[in-house]
Amino acid sequence: MDVALGTSTARTQAPRRRSRRGAFGILFTPVTLLMILFLAPLAIMVQMSVVRFPPATDSGYTLSHYADVLTNELNRTIALNTAFIATTSMTVMLLIAIPLAYYMAFKARRWEVLMLVALVLADELAPVVKIYAWQTILGRNGIVNWAIPGAPVEWLLYSRFAVILTLTTTYITYTTIPIYAAMKAIEPSVFEAAVDLGASAWQQTRKILLPLAAPGIFIALILVYIPMLTDFVTSDIVGGAGGGTYMMGQRVRDLIYQGVNWGAGASLNFIMLGVSVLLALVAYRLAKLNRMEP
Amino acid sequence: MTGVRDDRAGRAGEIEIDACTKAFGDTVAVDDVTLKIPGGEFFSMLGPSGCGKTTTLRMIAGFETPDAGRIILQGADVTRVSPQKRNVNMVFQSYGLFPHMTVVENVAFGLKIKRLARDEIASRVTEVMRTVRLEGMEDRRPAQLSGGQQQRVALARALVNRPAALLLDEPLGALDLQLRKEMQLELKRLQTATGTTFVYVTHDQEEAMTMSDRIAVMNGGVVEQVARPRELYQHPASAFVAGFIGVSNLLSFRVDRREGDTVVMDLGDGQWICATSGADATSGPAGSAMITVRPEWIKVGEADLNGRDSRVRGTVTDVVYLGSVTQLLVLLPTGERLMVHRLNDQVGGLDPSPGQVVELRWAAEHSYVIAGAEAQGAADRKG
Repeated sequence: MDVALGTSTARTQAPRRRSRRGAFGILFTPVTLLMILFLAPLAIMVQMSVVRFPPATDSGYTLSHYADVLTNELNRTIALNTAFIATTSMTVMLLIAIPLAYYMAFKARRWEVLMLVALVLADELAPVVKIYAWQTILGRNGIVNWAIPGAPVEWLLYSRFAVILTLTTTYITYTTIPIYAAMKAIEPSVFEAAVDLGASAWQQTRKILLPLAAPGIFIALILVYIPMLTDFVTSDIVGGAGGGTYMMGQRVRDLIYQGVNWGAGASLNFIMLGVSVLLALVAYRLAKLNRMEP
Repeated sequence: MTGVRDDRAGRAGEIEIDACTKAFGDTVAVDDVTLKIPGGEFFSMLGPSGCGKTTTLRMIAGFETPDAGRIILQGADVTRVSPQKRNVNMVFQSYGLFPHMTVVENVAFGLKIKRLARDEIASRVTEVMRTVRLEGMEDRRPAQLSGGQQQRVALARALVNRPAALLLDEPLGALDLQLRKEMQLELKRLQTATGTTFVYVTHDQEEAMTMSDRIAVMNGGVVEQVARPRELYQHPASAFVAGFIGVSNLLSFRVDRREGDTVVMDLGDGQWICATSGADATSGPAGSAMITVRPEWIKVGEADLNGRDSRVRGTVTDVVYLGSVTQLLVLLPTGERLMVHRLNDQVGGLDPSPGQVVELRWAAEHSYVIAGAEAQGAADRKG
């Protein structure tokens, strides 16, 4: 009896040991690549943000770059710009994505897969191509102004409106799909149960649909809101020269590329990273709080 | 809402389905169904899947609007009234519990929608939680409950609204057999305790027999028979009902002569089969019909029964010992096979063996004539 037991445990342990070695083998390459390609540049950036006269690494250490960046009036204006543009875009996207996801999850039936494919394909287009396409649509001689009689409408392009519209179309896929996934997990009979108990369409939305879709909504916030904070391509191409559309991503890029101001660029970058991590943690926490036990 | 019941005392909980028809595309799900369910009754709609029972239930709830006909609830025509405004509540097959709410929040949902006072809600919820025996589960989420407990939450969530009628759509389908048996008794207890009209949809004839005051057997969108369980079993109105409720033999029958309300088919050689005929039973072509007889009513090799009886000899082809009964298959001279149940009420009783010729008898009132053509079709399907 003992012998039999001994062999059976030995047999069950053997494959587990092998799989552990396998896991190490699988993870070795990506971990090494991550160290070299991601953590090393990050470490250099950290160094750049704290040396006195970057890129001279022997010039002594200081936190003055952080202090300068934080007290700079211009940075505060740009931060407000960025927050306004990103928040407005996010709101518009949620207003589109929630009904769209609901329709796809519960009403579209045979069109469901087609709509999903369309959303993914819309995202597959190169972002720069999409942004230039908007330029053609919204410009002085663009399609919209061609269709509208009278003098060309100027604020369509090179404006906050253009930036928000373009960001919205760029990120709508990443907003819709997590919400759709969360809704897909909802048992459709809960809506009939709510109707049976007297709930109106609005009460169903507020008390059943939104709470149950909340995890997806918070995931969408992480996937979309944070990248928008660092986006610079959109505003470069369809944003105006007036400053109302100048965003944080552009600011960091300009500090390093044009001003060769490593100290300010790097420190601003880490402040934004900090803000992003904080936002992500809050959204993640909310998503987790709203997730139901299996 | 409580006033409704008192105001219309005579018709409280009464449901009328008046000549309702409902089609989905080319498929007629419910075909001219008329049912009248008095208040306080435990009424079941029984039938195979696709027979229209769930559609009928959903028409009462308001989730489907009949193409023709009326739904009358406590004397008022509610055919065009939205489900939100009907004083009935439904228990769904998949329960439809709100997974993000606790048990109490689930149960209180309907009352909160109706904007009842907070202490009224609290007292009603407490009361119903006691009724369905869920005390101590108040703050759990549905996912933390067993199947049976979830079922009780669904019941409580519906009953707390004090509906004129509770509509149940195969509510025990997801439970295992043991729990299902317990919940059947529990449901019957709840129905008796609350006096609420229960309209229960199921495909399980035993479940319907256990709980119901009356059962409507449905098939192909049509109501085949509405009767009390005992009557349904003893006097099935159609071959379909006979086959669906319990086990029944269907035999083709030729009317050779008539003796009062009994019809006789002579098989010669001192053998005959007789059956009780209904009003229009022999209306089929050339007096041909089908008769039913339950396996347990057929006696093997016994002395004369009182009164008129069928007598026929046959060869035993199969013998299956089932515990309380032994099931025999007997080949009749007509070429048909008859299933016979012998009650094993004696220790050491001997069963016939295959190949043996036995004499079978059963009383005339235990065979019923079922109308010709339709019965023939049902028999073909069964075969």
